[in-house]
Amino acid sequence: MSGNFKFDTLALHAGHSPDERHGSRAVPIHQTTSYVFQDTEHAAALFNMEVGGHIYSRLTNPTVAVLEQRLAALDGGVAAVATASGMSALFVTVMALCSAGDHIVSSSQMYGANINLFEHTLSRYGVTTTFVAPNDPEAIKAAIQPNTKMVFGEVIGNPGMDIMDIRAVGKISAEAGIPLVIDATFNTPWMIQPLKHGANIVIHSLTKWMGGHGTALGGAVIDGGNFDWGQNDKFPMLTTSHFGYQGVNLWEEYGPGAFAARVRTEGMMNVGPCLAPMNAFLIMQGIETLGLRMEKHMSNTAKMLAFLSEHEQVAWVKHPSLPDHPDNKVAVELMPKGQGSIIAVGIKGGREAGRAFIENVQLASHLANVGDAKTLVIHPGSTTHSHLTPEAMQAAGLTEDLVRVSVGLEDIDDLIADFKAALRIAGKVAGAKS
Amino acid sequence: MKIQVNGHETFISTGGRNFDPNGEVLLFIHGSGQSHLSFLLQGRFLANRGFDVLVPDMPAHGLSKGDAPQTIEEMADWYVDVINAAEIKGNVNVIGHSQGGLVAMEMARRHPEKVKMATFIATALAIPVNDMLLDLAKNKEPRAIDAMMDWGHGPAGHMHDHTMPGHSHLAYGRQLMSANEAGALFTDLSACAAYTDGAAAAAAVQCPSLCIFSDMDKMTPIKAGRKLADALSNVEVVELKNAGHMSTTERPFEVNIALRKFLAN
Repeated sequence: MSGNFKFDTLALHAGHSPDERHGSRAVPIHQTTSYVFQDTEHAAALFNMEVGGHIYSRLTNPTVAVLEQRLAALDGGVAAVATASGMSALFVTVMALCSAGDHIVSSSQMYGANINLFEHTLSRYGVTTTFVAPNDPEAIKAAIQPNTKMVFGEVIGNPGMDIMDIRAVGKISAEAGIPLVIDATFNTPWMIQPLKHGANIVIHSLTKWMGGHGTALGGAVIDGGNFDWGQNDKFPMLTTSHFGYQGVNLWEEYGPGAFAARVRTEGMMNVGPCLAPMNAFLIMQGIETLGLRMEKHMSNTAKMLAFLSEHEQVAWVKHPSLPDHPDNKVAVELMPKGQGSIIAVGIKGGREAGRAFIENVQLASHLANVGDAKTLVIHPGSTTHSHLTPEAMQAAGLTEDLVRVSVGLEDIDDLIADFKAALRIAGKVAGAKS
Repeated sequence: MKIQVNGHETFISTGGRNFDPNGEVLLFIHGSGQSHLSFLLQGRFLANRGFDVLVPDMPAHGLSKGDAPQTIEEMADWYVDVINAAEIKGNVNVIGHSQGGLVAMEMARRHPEKVKMATFIATALAIPVNDMLLDLAKNKEPRAIDAMMDWGHGPAGHMHDHTMPGHSHLAYGRQLMSANEAGALFTDLSACAAYTDGAAAAAAVQCPSLCIFSDMDKMTPIKAGRKLADALSNVEVVELKNAGHMSTTERPFEVNIALRKFLAN
């Protein structure tokens, strides 16, 4: 065995060697809660973190571990911890970095539940957040306070699709001595590995493109291992004695893997948002074809953009690949293989016409998800982001007429025909209204 | 723990246990461009089994300050300085990996009164370093690190198949090495390249020795390791199957079992 394997090979193989006893080629599903110790010494060694292995599936599970190692390999991280969902990945990340009295600088353009977590949940526990436009690095810099413990954002904002230049923001956060945490759900490591461009920690909702088939919820935290936690006294959870495990100092004993170790030994241990092994298996089935699927997502998106941009019933189209997108240059630099398969589109005739469009597509499914193999549509203003104030809606790049399209893998001719028919009906609604 | 060695702050992992200088001391010696973290899975294991463990970072490596020693002999003397700074009155069991094995040999030759037993993991009488790697280490260190991570790992490493759930051998190793002071890797590799006294040093080693080799080691091939074993007078040999140079992380269970059995004798 030699050579560092490339992306598609890692997507199929990383993290797994066929077991010697059975030779199973597919990753076995270890549907078990717990693991028999060899003897009392072995049990003690596992609890003392002297040896690798499994104790209880809330902490680790052999099937989930293969997924974690595959994710670490694909993103270039030193370690990964899989979670029950993308939201729990974000929560255990914050928990490992922030305590009451701390502060977060976050992109204002995010998934609505992310905003909720920061604004309404964490604030009750004394962690405050300043929201800033993701494509304004200077504003991000200005928002950092002495008690700021992380900068957070997405490479591609959801749903407004403004681009965070993580190279610039990574420099800003590094100068401030705090990590840049990136929600990489919309880009996947196929489009960009944020850890190589300035990010220190990556989180994923694996439910989306990674799994890719709408069959399993999951999330992950990837530790880049590229942040010096000992450079200042901002992160005592990592640089002083742990409350358990004989008071281990994770930074000293685990070095580049200290953050992942904290997530595992606190987030998973004390909160417990563990990923089910069956879900890990399903997500890995998706990851095996991630490269193939992403290529098709990108080519279908390009053809759909060309169609929508020319259609008379479309008021506007927003996508980072389009020359008129304000962040097009940065997007192409960061993600040369493609800028994602989410399209924001304004249907002429406002909310009523948008509703008519959504209700009359046949192939595209109206539901609250993205990144499925099947094409999905939704009106964020009345669903995923409906709880936001008008000001927050504006900050998130949301308009009344915005319809979010997650372009799938259908034959693009069929998909365009479906959209054409639905837009025709939307046009009639708009005409009747006017 | 952090102590002063020759006027510089020196980090020493004690495997998560309090260190007793009067106990049965194990002194781990890391390889080129490495740090205490390459013994992550040995230090805690043995510290929890009655041994008093010291895993220092050499100067300019890991969390230690100061300038890196320039030669294998200087490194051997520095580790003796560590023994003295840690107020260890008796002798110690040295465990060296790769370059650390050369250092352990020199310690046993130059300071036999300090060495009780010696373990040589993935090492040889000499560790020649090709000019291309030296040039990369001097001028393009990240590429040198990438090359060493590639050559240094066997199937488990390249498959990201880790005994510690969720971990990646290659990425962890890259970050571990990147955290050292710039130039430390070049200094280490230059010291290895310049060291040609291994046969004489091995012949002078009188203490009981253990050699742990790996059948897929590309950096110190097993044939070279066996020559080291042949040159030692009182030696046990363990050969690991399907493992590369970084056996301390790729095959931690087997390495730990071999160490424990040897040290129990």
